[in-house]
Amino acid sequence: MTEVQLLQTIGLSVLGLGGAILLFVKARFVRVVAFVSIVLGGFTLVALSIPQMASLPPAVEKFDVASIKDKKDLAAIGQKIFFGKGQCALCHTIGTGEGRCPDLKGVGAKLTRGFLYESLTQPQAYIYKDYEHVGQPKFFPAKMPYINKKPIALSNNEILAVIAFLQNMSGEAVTIELSEIEAPGPASTAKKGEL
Amino acid sequence: METGNGDRFEICPQQIYAALFLMLFTVAAPLGLAWAQEAPAGAATEYRDILPGILGSRNLIWIIAQQHLLLAGFVLGVPIFAWVCEIVGVRTRDPRYDTLAKEFTKLLTSAYATTALFGGILLFLLLGLYPKLMVYLTDVFFPSFIVYSVLFLLETATLYLYWYGWDTMQGGKKGLHLFLGFLLNVFAFFIMIVPNSWATFQASPVVITESNMWARAWAATWNPTWWPVNVHRLIANVVLGGFICGAYAGLKYLMAQNQAERVHYDWMGYVGNFIGVFGMLPLPFAGYWLMREIYQYNQQMGITLMGGFLSWLFILQAILIGILFLGANYYFWLGIMYRIPGSEAKYRKPIMAMLVILLVCLGVWMTPHSLVASLEEARKMGGTHHPLLGVFGVMSAKMTVVNVMILVTFMSFVMYWRAGKQETATWAKAAKIGQGVILGVATIVVVVLGVWGYFVPAITRINFFSTTQVLVVLFVLLTITPLTALVLKSAKTTTDMVWGIMPPRAAYALVLNAVMVILLMTLMGYARSSSRVHWHVYGVMQDTSPYAYSPALGYAAAFM
Repeated sequence: MTEVQLLQTIGLSVLGLGGAILLFVKARFVRVVAFVSIVLGGFTLVALSIPQMASLPPAVEKFDVASIKDKKDLAAIGQKIFFGKGQCALCHTIGTGEGRCPDLKGVGAKLTRGFLYESLTQPQAYIYKDYEHVGQPKFFPAKMPYINKKPIALSNNEILAVIAFLQNMSGEAVTIELSEIEAPGPASTAKKGEL
Repeated sequence: METGNGDRFEICPQQIYAALFLMLFTVAAPLGLAWAQEAPAGAATEYRDILPGILGSRNLIWIIAQQHLLLAGFVLGVPIFAWVCEIVGVRTRDPRYDTLAKEFTKLLTSAYATTALFGGILLFLLLGLYPKLMVYLTDVFFPSFIVYSVLFLLETATLYLYWYGWDTMQGGKKGLHLFLGFLLNVFAFFIMIVPNSWATFQASPVVITESNMWARAWAATWNPTWWPVNVHRLIANVVLGGFICGAYAGLKYLMAQNQAERVHYDWMGYVGNFIGVFGMLPLPFAGYWLMREIYQYNQQMGITLMGGFLSWLFILQAILIGILFLGANYYFWLGIMYRIPGSEAKYRKPIMAMLVILLVCLGVWMTPHSLVASLEEARKMGGTHHPLLGVFGVMSAKMTVVNVMILVTFMSFVMYWRAGKQETATWAKAAKIGQGVILGVATIVVVVLGVWGYFVPAITRINFFSTTQVLVVLFVLLTITPLTALVLKSAKTTTDMVWGIMPPRAAYALVLNAVMVILLMTLMGYARSSSRVHWHVYGVMQDTSPYAYSPALGYAAAFM
């Protein structure tokens, strides 16, 4: 018996029991309970008669340094971070221009990697003119957060991957070298925060 | 049990239910406690599970949260109309309203403790079963936790003063009692909107910059769906409270031992149904605003709801709301037939016409956009969209019929209001013609915009046509109501209402309405939660537990 069949049987039983009580029992409170049972049983049966679809989560993505063979791999990881852990797509759009913050189409070609890095880690250091809100004030003028601090807290590797993605999707050559990606573990001696 | 002020202290069924559940939980929970994700030594535990395979942490949270929210909706909705009833009682000097307000508040006090009990259980379970999420939310919202605690203290103190001081604060002290009722509602409102910020932040988080904890909490609170949900819940709480009180009165009416009780509970049922309908009329507008904000916030989330795996949920929603509309109207119609002797012949035809319109509208509303069809059926239809019925499956048709149903329900109420009265004002005839014209033109505008909506881009329909339909219906409500009140002010009563002679099916209609509202709230709770798909906080914190999926609707409905 499938889960749907089991639930249908239960729904039908509840409905039938309610009907029987209404037919044979005179006690008013019990009759009201039976009436409610019929309604609930009927509702369950209707809900079971429509297409049954569950929503499953996607596979978990991990930043696996060993899997990065070339700069395209790095950009692909950056893309996942952009739309996932980095939360960039919560505010920024790419090409549609309908986000709550500046559209990032071609940003990798307009700005240097140093500027991009600074925008992510010290967002208030320099506000680029195009990024100021114009026209009607936005209802939720989000302030660019520090991406390397909580709650987003991207690692240096992850920030570099995002920059690689921004450059790649803008048609630019990726200037992040694979040698800049730190190996996991405490042995890493690379200096963070410098490009 | 008798309390000091002479009122009987009763243990309500919810309290027994909660106590039984708590006992079961206390016994069973430790036996089934398990770790879903064993944390490495030194690392924090992200999830714990409970009775996996039988119940599971997600289902347990679902049950408790649902109970807590339903009770909380009742507890926050009832003070609004209890207070309004009390004011009406003071203004009209009719003691029935004061008695009714007190009876509403009595229901409130028993439900309040149970709400708090479920709230406490929910908090402990969330801390134990979802520590990762709770650490994150506490980090963001800690200041508002403090605000909530203070509000809860104030609300509790005010409620008990309001209830236990009812008899003492009569006469000259009535003003103070009314002020307490006002405070009760103010605190209740804030008690509702503070937790709303936590739940809406999970659905529509904003990016939080590093600043002091109050600024962070405020930024997270003021998220895109916070106010739409606040408004929607406020109205929905009134609807829930009204229909639950109506069902309570219906049950009491059926079990009444004498005519005096029947008269009282018949009247209480009428007031409960009236409050429910009063709230139900603007509720679809608030729901529309909420969906609009969700689409603006994140189109993907909007699509998940309206066009994705949750799209069939809205067919179920249409059935439930349609039955609710029918139940509420049916109760009005029974009232006309039984409480106002001699009116049956006069109103039979309009009632029949209204019933037909409501059924046609319901049929359109519950028509799915795409049909479940076999390959052969789909080939014959030329796709999963039926060539004729497919036309009714789109939003333009659904917005139109919802507005028409609201208009019909409103007219049912106006008809009931006017029944048994003879207008005496010289301008009464002109006013009635004016009302007819307003209603007729409004209906035509709603239908024309609905049909026109098929031929314009979606954005034009959503931004202009649908909002115009809503405004037109609101215009009807806001013009015909005062006009009718003015006309009836000088009207003479030709047939007195007779209370306490309604047939038992009227009481069952009240119970049905309450069940529909509860099912609707639980269904939409599932929708709200499922729209976040596999995220605890949408786009920010992923649900990595074994329960990071949304179950199918049939399972969810059986669970509800």
